[in-house]
Amino acid sequence: MRVVVADDVLLTREGIVRLLRDANIEVVAEAEDAQGLLHHVRLARPDVALVDIRMPPTHTDEGLVAAQTIRAEHPQVGVLVLSQYVEPSYALRLIQEHPERVGYLLKERVFDIATVVDALRRIMDGETVIDPTIVSRLVGRRRRQDPLAVLTERERQVLGLIAEGMSNRAIAARLYVTERTVEAHVTQIFQKLHLPESPDQHRRVLAVLAFLRA
Amino acid sequence: MASTDGAPWACHNRAVTRALIQRANLARLAAGPVGVALGLGALAVAQGPGRFTTYAGRSGLTATLTVAAGLALVAAGLVTAFSRPARRIGDLAVLAGLVWFAPVWVGWDKGPPLIRSLAMLAAGFTFPLLVYLVVAYPSGRLQGAAARTLVAAAYLEATVVALGRALFRDPFFDPGCWANCTDNRFLLRSLPGLARAIEVADRWFTAAAAAALVALCVWRLLRDSGPARRVLLPVALPAILLAATVVAHVVALQRRPLEDPSDSAFRTIFVIGCVAVILLAAGLVWATIRSRFQRRAVARIATSLGQAPPPGSVQAALAQAIGDPELQIAYWLPDARRHVDASGRPVAEPVAGPGRAVTALVRDGHPVAVVSHTAALPDLEPELGAAVRLALENERLQAEALAQLDQLRASRVRIVETGDSERRRLERDLHDGAQQRLLALSYDLRLARAQAQADGDPQTGSLLTEATDQAQATLEELRELAHGICPAILAEAGLAAALATLADAAPLPVQIQDEAAGRHPAVVETVAYLLVAEALDDAAGRDASHATVSVVQDGGRLVVTVQDDGTDRTSSMVQLTDRVGALEGRLAVEPTRLRAELPCG
Repeated sequence: MRVVVADDVLLTREGIVRLLRDANIEVVAEAEDAQGLLHHVRLARPDVALVDIRMPPTHTDEGLVAAQTIRAEHPQVGVLVLSQYVEPSYALRLIQEHPERVGYLLKERVFDIATVVDALRRIMDGETVIDPTIVSRLVGRRRRQDPLAVLTERERQVLGLIAEGMSNRAIAARLYVTERTVEAHVTQIFQKLHLPESPDQHRRVLAVLAFLRA
Repeated sequence: MASTDGAPWACHNRAVTRALIQRANLARLAAGPVGVALGLGALAVAQGPGRFTTYAGRSGLTATLTVAAGLALVAAGLVTAFSRPARRIGDLAVLAGLVWFAPVWVGWDKGPPLIRSLAMLAAGFTFPLLVYLVVAYPSGRLQGAAARTLVAAAYLEATVVALGRALFRDPFFDPGCWANCTDNRFLLRSLPGLARAIEVADRWFTAAAAAALVALCVWRLLRDSGPARRVLLPVALPAILLAATVVAHVVALQRRPLEDPSDSAFRTIFVIGCVAVILLAAGLVWATIRSRFQRRAVARIATSLGQAPPPGSVQAALAQAIGDPELQIAYWLPDARRHVDASGRPVAEPVAGPGRAVTALVRDGHPVAVVSHTAALPDLEPELGAAVRLALENERLQAEALAQLDQLRASRVRIVETGDSERRRLERDLHDGAQQRLLALSYDLRLARAQAQADGDPQTGSLLTEATDQAQATLEELRELAHGICPAILAEAGLAAALATLADAAPLPVQIQDEAAGRHPAVVETVAYLLVAEALDDAAGRDASHATVSVVQDGGRLVVTVQDDGTDRTSSMVQLTDRVGALEGRLAVEPTRLRAELPCG
């Protein structure tokens, strides 16, 4: 797997690059701002770009904007955004336009290299990755009339994994059940929540997140 | 600037000024009887020996008009000189009135040659005097190069012509002579050709000067507006008529070189000229009386101001009293070293301009205010009685207080804005500083742990695992802390996104109704966000089971309401009240409801 890493803090960037290399991932380029990132993506055509959300000059959402640009201009290049913020808004914004091959992870996950490598592989396979902290905050959100009350415990679990961007196969593997069982759960959940059954795995992430946010 | 009430308002060299004014007033008082004597004498001359050599001698009408015009000028001049600050206008009218009779004395057939010769010299100055009067009206000052040039040229020309006539015109050899063909006491040398040339040149110059006067009057009427034009009209219109007769007279002379009072064309021109002079005198009197009424009204306005007049009352009352809606009072604040209006808002110092005059008001040698008003009333200061001055002084103090209040408000906004930007800086520092270091630390810890495991040191390994978990927990706490100080998403994506995140993590169900689309000023968004955050915390503390947040754009205000179903609140939310107040907004604190109106536009 070929990866470009963008982070304006040298210390963090070097740490990330070293961890990735230790995990046998090829880091083809490093960038310290959005401009450099876009340049390297154009030249190196990596499989995935690993992007810090805060980059110069304003240190707010430059990384997010760059990620959206990459997705729009290079559909075959995936983007994993690393963020300090538990902000569902940012995650939704990221997947709104191009829900496939993108991911939004909290920055501290970077040192849990297995999680990062897993996310990178899923993105390369065309999936969507949303940080579990964000999903659990949305699922755990206090509601006056909880629409999730109609779901069983197992169904809630599956809903959360859908929101994290997992495929049925991945959910099945995680929960030690068959893919067919997961499919049945998904159908139940969508019916109970009156969500339109989506054939598209990426679109269903968006639908579930938007539902949880509403 | 004479002060009459002995108040400590400025008056310099009062004794000297007063003595001069008294001497001048004696001269003016004498001008009345002199004018009457000259007029009656002229009438006697015209009825008797001057019957064939003067216009006045030709009919009862011309005699009456001649005398009436001269006396009207003298009378109007006296009225004007004694009742308005621009005494020069009155003096000019008196002089013009006295000189007006000169042509009759010139035509005193068989009269004393010296008188006839002197009258001949004086007669040429009626026109320059009237030009000066009209051009300097109403202030008494010549404003503008055109006005100064016209008056100077008219005087110079009249002087040169008078000297030329006196020294070189021999009446016996003057083919154009009609009123006086015998006497010139000052003749130095008889030069009929030169005398003739002087006459012709004089005619054309006079016609040109009259045309210039018309142009100047028309230009000023067009330029001025409102009260200034109202004051100008009664003098400018007769002046235009008079100038027209002067031009007509020159044209008539061109066609019939020998002036003949019995000729109907000449007589008509003369009659219209007299009427114009009478109208001009009447206009002067009318304007003087009108301005006197206005000045009285100015003096009275204090009574029309109530016990606690709202800011701007003095200006409004003054403007009404003198009929000048554009009147403006600028109060001087010595500490701030600037002028403000009655509401305390900074204004530029008023300056005199076309049709506008300024009166500076001074008390104990310190400037109090500057009044900008129509130039129709050249100096207001003497008219402002003690009561008006007191009202002005009160309003200045009020304006000063209001200006200080404005500064206070501005400083309150600055304090809040500084606090907000400090919050944002702190949030950024936490992310870019502490958080990055913690990330690096946990990276090192993981490396160390991997090393320990590789070295087969399980004890160190478990210690390092614990340390890693601690670092992780600290990172999370830090993240929440930074978010609580000022969420980055507020500045970046706006109030709606920040409130949504707030609801996601709130300790109680929160329903958000955001009907205010788009972004608002950063300071407003921050205040609204912190208000909702604190209100939700407060609601949770009062065991509320849910809360509703509504954000509505109402005209230029953002209305934020937080309603919950908890027990009644005991806190007065004083910090929120301060924050909202700093933006000049309003916060209504009710037992289970907060409603803030924030100006944002």
